[in-house]
Amino acid sequence: MKAIFAIARRELGGYFSSVIGWIVLVAFTTLSGLFFSLMIGSLALQPPMGTDNQNVTEMIVQNLFSNLSVIALLVMPAVTMGIIAADRRERSVELLLTSPVTSTQIVLGKFLGSLAYAVAMVATTFYVPATLFSLGTPDSGVFYATYGGFVVLMAVFVAIGMFASSLSDNQLIALVVAFGINLMLWILGWAASLPGEGALKATLEHIALLNHFEQLSKGVVHTNDAVYFVSVIVFFLFVTTQRVEALRWR
Amino acid sequence: MIEVESLTKRYGTTTAISDVSFTVQKGEVVGFLGPNGAGKSTTMRVIAGSLGASHGHARVAGFDVAENPRAVQAILGYSPEVPPVYTNMNVRDYVRFAATLKGVESVNKAADHAMERVGLLGIQNKIIDHLSKGQRQRVGLAQALVHDPKVLVLDEPTSGLDPAQRVEIRELIRELAAGDRTVILSTHVLGEIEAICSRVIIINRGRIVAQDQLDHLSGVGRVVRVEVARPGEGLAKALEAIPSVIGVELHDGSYTVRADTDVREAVASVAAPFGLHEMVGRERLEDIYLRLISSGGAA
Repeated sequence: MKAIFAIARRELGGYFSSVIGWIVLVAFTTLSGLFFSLMIGSLALQPPMGTDNQNVTEMIVQNLFSNLSVIALLVMPAVTMGIIAADRRERSVELLLTSPVTSTQIVLGKFLGSLAYAVAMVATTFYVPATLFSLGTPDSGVFYATYGGFVVLMAVFVAIGMFASSLSDNQLIALVVAFGINLMLWILGWAASLPGEGALKATLEHIALLNHFEQLSKGVVHTNDAVYFVSVIVFFLFVTTQRVEALRWR
Repeated sequence: MIEVESLTKRYGTTTAISDVSFTVQKGEVVGFLGPNGAGKSTTMRVIAGSLGASHGHARVAGFDVAENPRAVQAILGYSPEVPPVYTNMNVRDYVRFAATLKGVESVNKAADHAMERVGLLGIQNKIIDHLSKGQRQRVGLAQALVHDPKVLVLDEPTSGLDPAQRVEIRELIRELAAGDRTVILSTHVLGEIEAICSRVIIINRGRIVAQDQLDHLSGVGRVVRVEVARPGEGLAKALEAIPSVIGVELHDGSYTVRADTDVREAVASVAAPFGLHEMVGRERLEDIYLRLISSGGAA
């Protein structure tokens, strides 16, 4: 356990001592701020839709985070590309491989460290609930559901990115592969939204990533969404562990 | 302490090491010698558990590295040729990180101790990226030492260092080897082996070509080189006449006498009338090395 946390702390520290770590953080904050102000602005221009505080909060928050989920989908591969590839390129992976820690501990540590960074990204949107609470009395449940769902979504991106990063010592390959997987999971959602019925549509709906997130952000936790997220994360962590184990046998 | 048994490692169709076997006793300091690409690093990585072998076994303190890597790594310190550092960390954090990974109980104490041993205390707050090559090499050593391992595997610990730093690291290794710590180190610098090691393993093209005590290998007393003021046929004949001498060679004005027993005394008295200038009672490691490497065969 100590080793996992040590690896996680090292990983998190790595983001905050790298240029890209700060650039991504600033870019994500700027973009989310931009979206938020645009949304508030366009809302102000619309005629009043009644006095239902609840719906306005839900609309803003869910809309904002559905946009942010697409941004995260595009940005996270850049965050995660170095998790293992850079360690291999710099040879620092040799420290991990020759210490009495298992491949599972290495992968879990790196996953938790990178997830902590992703949570820091999400935390930069603190002004959203702060603003809305200062303007009215929104239902805090909406925030719990959306933020919780978004962190889970980030965990999926980290797991996918980590797997891509374990493929070689080339960060560019990691970037492209993670981007490709994310994009595929996203595009499947469009395909699933085409009119029609049948097993294929149901399957596509099940594989598509953001559909599950939308459910979660509405505060509705279906078993099938939970199973989906858990299984995607576990699957990618598992194959990454296999990749790390394979490093010892190259 | 270390038993390597017919170790073979193939990468695709190329064979990095082939049928490598040797043992290292507890407390021994063994030098690993060979040209670039001979398979030194590969062998060391297999022992350290960062690389699996295609065939054969490596055992450290009775544990099979492939079957029980964690048990081996808990008592083994490995310093690869390129120090496995995170360049954006400072020295202290890095060594503490390594200590935690290696399961050390009191991390701060162990880190302080390791940094003190390799002389890093003065720069412990520096970012590793800003260190000189020699300093980085020492960080790599600190990482290998931090859990006070019984076995040290050092892959070219002095590569890229200036002569003063070399001597420093050499002294450090000698200190580390005191007591019953087992050390195996590779190097290109033959003088280093002569200064530190009691035994040497020479590897070429993935195969061991010689392994012996340094004294034995260099044929103390059995290979004698003499330089005289007045060389001539008479001297060569006289040297050959010494009992147990196998052969006499003349190279650049110096005679190399090979024999089955210690012939230093006899050679000295034979050479004295010819104006003895210099006499060396053993073969230089450099010569042995070049002979073995160029012949390519097993000794």
